[in-house]
Amino acid sequence: MTRPNVADRVSRLRDEFDRSFAEPVRTFGADSVELLAIGVGGRPYALRLSQASGVHPDRPVTALPTPVPALLGVAGFAGTVVPVYDLAALLGHPIPERPRWLVLTTGTPPLALAFHQLDHHLRVPITDVVEGSIGDAGPHAYLQGLVRLPDGNRPIVDVPATRSLVHQLAGHQPTSEEAS
Amino acid sequence: MMAGQTYGRKLGVGVTVTIAFTLISVITAVIAMSFVVNAKDRVITAATTNLVGAEALGRILDTRLADFRGYLLYRTQSFADAAAADRQRFQQQLATLRGAMPDTTTRTMLDRVAAAEEAHAEAVTQVMNQRANGATIEEIVKANDTQAVPLREKLQTELTSLIGRVRIDVESDRKESTDRAALAAWGIVVLGVLTTACAIAVAWRLGRDLKREVGAAVGHIQSSSAQLEAAASQQVSGGRDQASAMSEITTTISELLITSRQIAESAQRVSKIAEETESAARAGDATIDQTRASMTAIRTQVDQIVQHMLALGEKSQQIGLVVDLVSELAEQTNILAINATIEASGAGEWGRRFAVVAEEIRKLADRTAASAKEIRALIEDVRGAVNTTVMATEIGAKAVDSGARQFNEATNNFREIVKLVATTNDATREIELSTKQQTTAVEQVNVAAGDTARVSRETEASAVQTKATAAHLTALSGDLLELVGSGKH
Repeated sequence: MTRPNVADRVSRLRDEFDRSFAEPVRTFGADSVELLAIGVGGRPYALRLSQASGVHPDRPVTALPTPVPALLGVAGFAGTVVPVYDLAALLGHPIPERPRWLVLTTGTPPLALAFHQLDHHLRVPITDVVEGSIGDAGPHAYLQGLVRLPDGNRPIVDVPATRSLVHQLAGHQPTSEEAS
Repeated sequence: MMAGQTYGRKLGVGVTVTIAFTLISVITAVIAMSFVVNAKDRVITAATTNLVGAEALGRILDTRLADFRGYLLYRTQSFADAAAADRQRFQQQLATLRGAMPDTTTRTMLDRVAAAEEAHAEAVTQVMNQRANGATIEEIVKANDTQAVPLREKLQTELTSLIGRVRIDVESDRKESTDRAALAAWGIVVLGVLTTACAIAVAWRLGRDLKREVGAAVGHIQSSSAQLEAAASQQVSGGRDQASAMSEITTTISELLITSRQIAESAQRVSKIAEETESAARAGDATIDQTRASMTAIRTQVDQIVQHMLALGEKSQQIGLVVDLVSELAEQTNILAINATIEASGAGEWGRRFAVVAEEIRKLADRTAASAKEIRALIEDVRGAVNTTVMATEIGAKAVDSGARQFNEATNNFREIVKLVATTNDATREIELSTKQQTTAVEQVNVAAGDTARVSRETEASAVQTKATAAHLTALSGDLLELVGSGKH
């Protein structure tokens, strides 16, 4: 029974692949939003791909002596030393497991957020995203919106708010040039 | 005194007392009669001996006087001899009387008679001598009148007084014996009255006891008869049940007999089958050798299977490594696609078109990862199956080894079985024989059960008879109660 199924699947994949070359050129419009479904400290979250500038697995992180528990250390990205913060610790539920994945955020100064699991990359209609801040203060201020997915709802981590939290933790006062 | 004694003992005691009194009466009567007879005998003896003897003295005296007178007349010697003989008889009679009369008075009188006779005899002798000497009649008469007659008269007077005395004695004896006879008669009468009174008392006592004790006993007999009747009724029903049960038993034994015959036939068949089994068992030896060779071949095949399965496991492990590599590549492709998408988003219109390509690449990477995951699962399944198969095969190999050992044991057992089958064959023949004997025994039991059933019916009939007898006994007890005067009517 498995053999015909696999053969069908191969045939279908080949057809889809061939058809992709026959389809007219298309672009993704403003009616959809790109998201990364991630697992942070064992909990599901989503991250806007537009707020990331790169995803990297297993990047070596050099630890620094610091009083901030969320600061894992620094990592090098294309000749730039970037501080790496544990997103689980920032979200308020740290776990002892070392995060595997790093996402390099947009904006300056460069900042990398570490998370434990990359579920998948997805594009959802904008109508599936519910805008709005979750909670008025505290750690939930950096959760902006919610996306409805077949496997459940995921809160969307807002990178600029997270960056503000990091600055707050590091005692850094951003200049006007530094974009949020 | 008689309390606690049996009625028979009481009856015996009463009869014994009565008999004793009767015997005493009889003995007393006999003693009294002999006493009276003795007294009368003595009277008669006195009358016959003394009185007659005394009177005989007179008659002898008269005879002697006649002879004396004859001599005086004829002077013949014969008269003299007769007179002497008469005197001798007189003296003998006198001596006899003396012996018969112990009385002193009478003896004195006899002495006086003897003295008078002596004197008279002397006088007579003198007269006779005178006559012999030739004296005349007149002289003799004279002499006689003077000498002999006074003495003779005296003698006669003494005799008369003796006879009178004896007569008085006889009379007094007769009167005394009559008094004694009357006394004895009174004694017998008194004893007879006592015996009669005793017999009446014994009869009254026995009658009372008969009425009381025998009546009570007969009452007990009556109630016991009623109980016996009830028991006989139960025995009748029991006998009936027993008879029916025996009939069932007979039926069952008949069925048992049929079964026994069937068993005998079966035993015969079993004997035949045992013989066939014995021959078949002997034929099985060759098959055993073939089977042993087959098992050795199986063992070799199983070893080869184990080797192949282990090789298959190793290959599947290598496939897993390759799949890991493919998964890694898919993940890296995915990351590259994501980063390409990120980069494309900042590259304007061309970037957006490139994002579509990156999306396709990412989809392919996702599918590759999913396929690799499936392959990984399949490989895990294969490895699990291989491990299971290897374990099963090794277990199978061990089972084959164990089977071979067991087969050897089975072979030995089989050969033992062959021997045992031979033994069984003999035993089956014995069973066949025994079953035939058993069938015969069951037939005998059947006959015995039939007899027992008949006896049960007879017992039932006997119980009916017993019941009737008990009823009759009850009626008889009632009659007996009425007879002894303790009836309830």
